Amino acid sequence: MPIVIFELPDGTQRKVTADSGTVLMQAAVSNGVDGIVAECGGNASCATCHVYVDERHGELVGPPNDVEDEMLDFTAAERRPTSRLSCQVQVSDALDGLVVHIPEEQV
Amino acid sequence: MSTLMAAAPGAPVVELDLAELRDDPYPAYAELRRTAPLAWVPSVGRHLLTRYEDIVRAEKLPEVFSSREEGSLLLRTVGPNLLREDDPEHRRLRAAAEPPTRPRQVRDLWAGTFERNAHDLLDRIAGRGEGDLIGDFAEPLAAANLAVVLGLRNASADDISDWSRAMMAANGNYADDPDIWLRAEQATRAIEDAVAEMAEAARREPDGSVISSMVHAADPVELTEIQNNIKVIIGGGVNEPRDVFGVGAQALLRRPDVRDRVVADAGLWKRVFEETARWISPIGIYPRQLTQDYEIAGVALPAGSRVALVIASGNRDESVFERADEFDIDRPHRPHLAFGGGPHFCMGAWVARHEVSALAWPLVFSRLKGLRLVEGADDRMEGWVFRGLTSLNVTWQA
Ligand code: FES
Repeated sequence: MPIVIFELPDGTQRKVTADSGTVLMQAAVSNGVDGIVAECGGNASCATCHVYVDERHGELVGPPNDVEDEMLDFTAAERRPTSRLSCQVQVSDALDGLVVHIPEEQV
Repeated sequence: MSTLMAAAPGAPVVELDLAELRDDPYPAYAELRRTAPLAWVPSVGRHLLTRYEDIVRAEKLPEVFSSREEGSLLLRTVGPNLLREDDPEHRRLRAAAEPPTRPRQVRDLWAGTFERNAHDLLDRIAGRGEGDLIGDFAEPLAAANLAVVLGLRNASADDISDWSRAMMAANGNYADDPDIWLRAEQATRAIEDAVAEMAEAARREPDGSVISSMVHAADPVELTEIQNNIKVIIGGGVNEPRDVFGVGAQALLRRPDVRDRVVADAGLWKRVFEETARWISPIGIYPRQLTQDYEIAGVALPAGSRVALVIASGNRDESVFERADEFDIDRPHRPHLAFGGGPHFCMGAWVARHEVSALAWPLVFSRLKGLRLVEGADDRMEGWVFRGLTSLNVTWQA
């Protein structure tokens, strides 16, 4: 199972094991990672599970889907080229070692 | 699953008076959080769950805390609808109805009309120098905007308001008043006719509205499903933006220091909105029913138990929000529960945010110069299932 690393705004890192076939948001929530609110439970309707994919891993994760792209314009923290909604990122073995940064604000 | 209309063994029983709850539920909630965070309340016929963490946990377990509540007042009022369904049925209906309420659609399709509607209403009252910001502005605005988003071009703002009020009364009709049921039936029949007509029109010519989106959904939706879901949206779609508008406007008029900051820095309206929804949540409770035995807040609930997630109480939980009873736009950010959570996260959230915090408040505070509360006016805050101001009497320089 892939290990992914959530880096909090203060620089501390949380390493969690994510289940393949689930989404990144679930890995954060079920491990109590602060800063991923996920109000809508993964339905791409709240924009409170925003993450910045580390520059090194952008290609691995790929671009947002259409609904997600729209929602990303309305995140509380600024949108960047590496922004994704963590509930729309499928976990697979290929993501082992992935680093994502959690923004300051979600709502 | 059979419905258990009684206290779970081991659940504390707490008597609460409905009239007192309607007047001000917050003291009772504070007491419950402290002494009985899960309590059976006979007058409500449910267990009230009142602490933040427990509510969040329940919202994230829709397979245990089901929205398919038997004997629900909402079901009786409007018929089967997405609020009282679980996934995958809920997801099918939501996917059909949701696209027009997403934030980019709100900005690109509806914002212009919302702004015109707000200006029209303000034009009408601006010269008067006094008025009731609920009845003269917030309610007709919310209703007119809702008609546009839903695609009900054949209904006036007054129709929408009347229908909404009749259904909301039925939905909170815990006292089982027959007149309230009768009025709700008349309203729902009128909505069915209006929706049928516009669904037919949207079939020929799509217009981006909720009705149109449901008519053209990839996963087909029946006309009765469209009708019932439009009823639900009319129920919530008027009172929520109206109540957030009213409560927030009153809070700012009582705190000129905060008002001046917000008027000077438009970026702060967003915070006013979220803090208002936390402080006095327009929807106070969500009913749920257990699909299996489950222990929460120290009580083992049997399958079939009826529970109310008291989000109004979770939003005042002192362990999460310091000085929770105060309106404070500068409080450290913690997510509030006013929009609900999980798959039922409020579909109108983006519409309401835009119409209230990007348009209604800024326009009212900039156009009505010298806006002030009328001293001694009887502007009452009312309700616990739904809560808001019944009026907001103000004066300004005409
Ligand atoms: S959890 Fe709501 S958008 Fe991802």
